[in-house]
Amino acid sequence: MADSISRRKFLSRATLAIGGVIVAGWAVPAVAYILGPARRSDRQREWRPLGSPDKVEVGTPTLFKTRIERTTGWVTQEEEVSVYVFTADGRNFTGLSNICTHLGCRVRWVDNEDVFFCPCHNATFANDGRVASGPPPRPLDTFEIMTEGGQLLVNVEV
Amino acid sequence: MTDGVMGPIDQQSETEEPSTSWLDERIGSRSIIGTIFLRKIPKVNWLFTLGSATLFVVANQFVTGILLTVYYVPSVQDAYDTVTYIDSSLPLGWLVRGLHHWGATAMVVLVVLHMLRIIYHGAYKYPREVTWLTGVALLLLTFMFGFTGYLLPWDQKAYWATTVGTRILDVVPFVGDWLLRAARGGEELSAVTLSRFFGIHVWILPAITLLLVAVHMFLVVRIGISAPPKKED
Repeated sequence: MADSISRRKFLSRATLAIGGVIVAGWAVPAVAYILGPARRSDRQREWRPLGSPDKVEVGTPTLFKTRIERTTGWVTQEEEVSVYVFTADGRNFTGLSNICTHLGCRVRWVDNEDVFFCPCHNATFANDGRVASGPPPRPLDTFEIMTEGGQLLVNVEV
Repeated sequence: MTDGVMGPIDQQSETEEPSTSWLDERIGSRSIIGTIFLRKIPKVNWLFTLGSATLFVVANQFVTGILLTVYYVPSVQDAYDTVTYIDSSLPLGWLVRGLHHWGATAMVVLVVLHMLRIIYHGAYKYPREVTWLTGVALLLLTFMFGFTGYLLPWDQKAYWATTVGTRILDVVPFVGDWLLRAARGGEELSAVTLSRFFGIHVWILPAITLLLVAVHMFLVVRIGISAPPKKED
């Protein structure tokens, strides 16, 4: 028999094949298990009250804070979400995130210079969130804002 | 090559694969593999696979145990929650934990059966006493793994089983009270107990186990395994 393989060769190949299946049996769950938390989670959105629109001066972003409960892994805790509310005309309001679009540092409004300033790489944003100087690739992210019953409401992920 | 019977190991006559593979030329891998896997063994039966089966489950415990530590947190606040998270939120987390859980039970069953085979065949006798002694140490290590690991989920069963289990030490004459406090790390079962059981379970015991398994395996390869005793033995 020209195409027959030896008993020894057959057994060693069978052992390797079964061993491969077993190793895959560990490796596949290991990868799924380790990468599991990297999956995108679909978070709910909710309207949260911020305060009175009277506090917001025309042309000057005003800082509001709201607390949300967020679950990460096995920990559920309260987190503070900061929203700068801006209005150009006193009627239409925009919520601006205080997270720099460059690398995620927190920006703050500097009153006497009329800019949002990011301390990490000296970036600045204008009062409506547009990039004024520095490395950020896009304007500050925005939140939807509406006014209802004399209250500002912000649409946030919870 | 003769069919059916494993021929004598002769590196020169192995012609199935080129004898100058890249790795072999550098580190002599063929003779290493040959020494470990192509040993001459006496006529054996399936009972002789119990040691290999144990070794396989040991490998499983190391792999799945390391994976569990990726998320498990050994604190009284987090232990139970992280185990629940592994079980119900992570993809195939239930499988990883299940393999470790059932592997632990399989370990105890297999090491005991393996030991019974050795006793039954008298395989612990000259010249294999050192192999036997390391095996006994590994048996005790297996029990310590089981005892320390049982506490880690930090649920009611874990808590009370360890409360009762450590309390047994108290009946030892004279030093019982001290042994109890040494095991618990204090008077009562506490955050300290959980933390040190974790440390013992994932660092100290595995380190000793790796060492002893290596010695055990080396001796098996070095001395060879014993044949079942004959009538005249």
